[in-house]
Amino acid sequence: MSDVVLDFRSATKSFGGLKAVDGLSFQVYQGEILSLIGPNGSGKTTTFNLITGLYEPDSGDILLKGESIAGLRPDQIHRKGISRTFQLLRLFSNMTVLENVMVGTHSHTSAGIFSSALRLPKMRREEVRATAKAKEILDMFPGRFSGGRQSQPAYSLSYANRRRLEIARALASDPSLLLLDEPVAGMNPAETREVMEQIKDLRDRGYTILMIEHDMNVIMGASDRVIAMDHGVKIAEGDPTTVANDPAVVEAYLGRRGADAAS
Amino acid sequence: MANVFSGMGQRLRQAPRWTFSLAALVLAITFPLLEQAGLMDTLWLRLGTRTLVYVLLALGLNLVLGETGLLHLGYVAFFAVGAYTTAILSSPRLGYHWNFWAIMGLAIAVSSLFGFVVGFPTLRLRGDYLAIVTLAFGEITRITFNNWESVTNGPGGIPGIYPPVIFGWLVDKPIEFYYLLLIAVVLVVIVLTNIKNSRIGRAWNALREDEIAANHAGVRSMGMKMLAVVISSGIAGLAGAIFAYYQQFINPTYFIFMQSVIVVCMVVLGGMGSIPGAIAGAVVLDMTPEVIRQVFTNWLPSALGPDFLPQVQTAMQTDFDRYRMLLFGIIIVLMVIFRPEGLLPNALWRREVHEEDPREAEHTRQRLFDFEEGHKDLEV
Amino acid sequence: MSFDHVFSLTVSGITVGMIYALIALGYTMVYGVLELINFAHGEVFTVGGYIAATTLIWAGIDTTTPLWVKIGYFALAIVLSVSLTAFLGWLIERVAYRPLRGSSRIIALLSAIGVSLILQNSLILIYGPEPIIMPTSMVPSGFVEPFGVRIRTLQFVIIGASIVLMGILTYIVKSTRIGKAMRATSQDMEAAEMMGIDTNRTISFTFVIGSGLAAIGGFLVAMYYGSLQYDTGFLYGLKAFTAAVLGGIGNIPGAVVGSLILGLAEVWGVGLELGLLAWLFVGGLAIGLYFQLVRAPKARVGHISDEARTPEYEHKIAGLYRLAPFTSMRTILGERKDALADVSARHAMRLFSGNVVLAVFAVMFFMNGDVQFASKWQHAISFAVLMAILMFRPSGILGDNIQEKV
Repeated sequence: MSDVVLDFRSATKSFGGLKAVDGLSFQVYQGEILSLIGPNGSGKTTTFNLITGLYEPDSGDILLKGESIAGLRPDQIHRKGISRTFQLLRLFSNMTVLENVMVGTHSHTSAGIFSSALRLPKMRREEVRATAKAKEILDMFPGRFSGGRQSQPAYSLSYANRRRLEIARALASDPSLLLLDEPVAGMNPAETREVMEQIKDLRDRGYTILMIEHDMNVIMGASDRVIAMDHGVKIAEGDPTTVANDPAVVEAYLGRRGADAAS
Repeated sequence: MANVFSGMGQRLRQAPRWTFSLAALVLAITFPLLEQAGLMDTLWLRLGTRTLVYVLLALGLNLVLGETGLLHLGYVAFFAVGAYTTAILSSPRLGYHWNFWAIMGLAIAVSSLFGFVVGFPTLRLRGDYLAIVTLAFGEITRITFNNWESVTNGPGGIPGIYPPVIFGWLVDKPIEFYYLLLIAVVLVVIVLTNIKNSRIGRAWNALREDEIAANHAGVRSMGMKMLAVVISSGIAGLAGAIFAYYQQFINPTYFIFMQSVIVVCMVVLGGMGSIPGAIAGAVVLDMTPEVIRQVFTNWLPSALGPDFLPQVQTAMQTDFDRYRMLLFGIIIVLMVIFRPEGLLPNALWRREVHEEDPREAEHTRQRLFDFEEGHKDLEV
Repeated sequence: MSFDHVFSLTVSGITVGMIYALIALGYTMVYGVLELINFAHGEVFTVGGYIAATTLIWAGIDTTTPLWVKIGYFALAIVLSVSLTAFLGWLIERVAYRPLRGSSRIIALLSAIGVSLILQNSLILIYGPEPIIMPTSMVPSGFVEPFGVRIRTLQFVIIGASIVLMGILTYIVKSTRIGKAMRATSQDMEAAEMMGIDTNRTISFTFVIGSGLAAIGGFLVAMYYGSLQYDTGFLYGLKAFTAAVLGGIGNIPGAVVGSLILGLAEVWGVGLELGLLAWLFVGGLAIGLYFQLVRAPKARVGHISDEARTPEYEHKIAGLYRLAPFTSMRTILGERKDALADVSARHAMRLFSGNVVLAVFAVMFFMNGDVQFASKWQHAISFAVLMAILMFRPSGILGDNIQEKV
């Protein structure tokens, strides 16, 4: 819990007059699972989009291992070691399962147009390596993507497997920070439990994870630390139980009267 | 009977893909020999040569429209650039007579460069805007060729393009152009197939499927789209150069917007993102109308007597081009509504309707449920 | 370069602009509710003109026909053309667009191109490729002379009719039930549906209104130029689309403003000497510089967070805009210390490059001061406008900031 992977320094992003993220600051440490919670519209996904370069912050700065990444393009940020999943699935539906994961290795391969057009040996070796890497990642989800399923198109998968495939694609680039946007959204309790174990397993393999989640069981069960947001600002930070009992958090979710009733 | 056919279809489907490619290649190679043997009118050889030009164009456009998902409506402009480069450098117009290889290289380079210049400002735009802007660019190109009289001779066009000399061989007969084009097509198909099965091809497909997700998987939109546009403009330039040599005369009317639309039709009909599809689309769309015309004006009258449906015969002879474009319009609309994946779809392509997983629809309810669960925790 | 010349060019520009506006409104309304570029709209316009012209030709009037009969046929032509064209618009939406709702934009656009091909070639099959000629006795042929300049009465008729139609349209969109449904649908189709609005009916209505306006546009063009050809609508459609984008697509007043600007730009561009055009570009440059030096820095300084706000920092951000090429390049190439400076530097460079383009054109035109644009470049002008606007400001003049959507 010492090395800072991501340093989010008082970044602000506004849309028109609305400040979606307002001077938010936090750090993500090496090897932890940090959860971002908050009511809808509290700026969690905007925070993700700022980190991955979909939006540029209006002010403030974002540092990955001490290096500023604010204002870079998403592909540059991916190359620097941040990959993500999306709240609403964004798979490459008409590509196979294996190809989906192999797209994730794009940053780590370099074959140019000529070596690809002529199938030069260097390109072939690289292709073999990328395929092996993708298969290795898919094997981390035992029984889900075995054998023939890897050459099926992604749209043929079940909903839960599509969510898993998105995680696999994000893992293919060996990210130093993995962002998961509601990884268990829409899953049933058994699937939720399985994905939760999977996420913990990823942490044990050394990945650093920042996730947005609504499912309290996952938040309490998997995260090492929790940050609660409301109206674009941080209202609480700490271990899961502390944050869950924080009066400001209860108020953000339930409103003042609800909070009074709860206390 | 039905059983026999379905069994045959089954066996055909199980045959490896390369057998089809081989069969198509053999067919393409033997086609002009029929003419040489006197079994076929020269008209068909000329038609076959034109079809191969369209095949090249369809292959090039498929790269942009099918693989990368960019609707380019000014594609014929690159074809025009290639053709005019050749015409200017190998005709009495300005008195140049360059070597074939130099002109080929230059035509490809100039049209690729043109693609780069066009792509640079426009590729940031989203799909349908890109389509309109490229359309505008294509029209500006044509207007420029039409008005730049000192070089292009304006609407009069450039006549008398010298035939090319390749390794000491003077190429000026249709059959020679046919084989020249066939070689170009085979080379282009090999190169495109290789690129399609590489990280670059995957990146293109990813951009087509979901641009934002592709960016977040490390694919740079601008660079990859630019690559696709530059390569496809180069292919169009190549096609244009050979076309100019073959026609020996070009003018701006060869490069009207409708030509772009015809190539788009070919790609859509064949199946976007499928190389065999692009070829099949070009062959079917370019050959079928001519076959229909021949059936009604030539074969049926000679078989059933010359007074066979005289009105149809005159209509076929005079208004045929319009019927053809009307037919193309109907084909596009029917195809996108009923079979958007095309005749020979990319193996994985599916209809672009959203398959709703019931659990996805329940997403919101589930979240409310989760929220209540969370609420219990918060109460503790 | 007399006042007379400029005045008559201006009236012509407004006339052409008003016709563009009638077509552009259809594009912009359909885009507003469906986010679809209705590529076949230009052909709908042609069909409208053809129907009106056919009616008048069929009526077979000559100079001896009494005025009230003429007026009767005139009204009949309008009614027939508007109602049949509106039906055509409805039919196109029903057959070619509705089954594709929810699929990708490219697919929908392809279908639109198909429809446009079908309409164009059906016109050729029915009428032949030659232009259809309006009976001259039906076209108002008088002249008026405001400020001593001879202007065709027809131009004022076109301008007046367009203003009336736009007034009616504004009333429909602003104050009627179906207009409110249209606005709600364009805001958020799903939400509108949940509020009990029949969105399918609303969309059909939008197509009907847009096609009706285009039909009148076709009629006016046929009267103004005396003839109409099967592919007239292709160019007019593209230009009207340009106008809609110029004003901010999806925005109804924007379509009118954009059309007027485009109409004037075309007519002035061809009719004025380049020296005079150069002054217009100087005017544009002045506005551009005002934005670069005054408005944009002020807006950007407002983004500085309170804890970072120091006079030096404010000065630095503002300086990025004032000395764009020097400081921005240093910021873009140099280390990224600060997101705000980086974003500002790119913004400054964009504004700067736009101003450079304007300046270059102004200088080029001054150098050829006494020459005119040949009229054969007329179409290229609007295409160039379209590309420039999409490159530098895709949201258009009056549009919301839809850059992300584009």
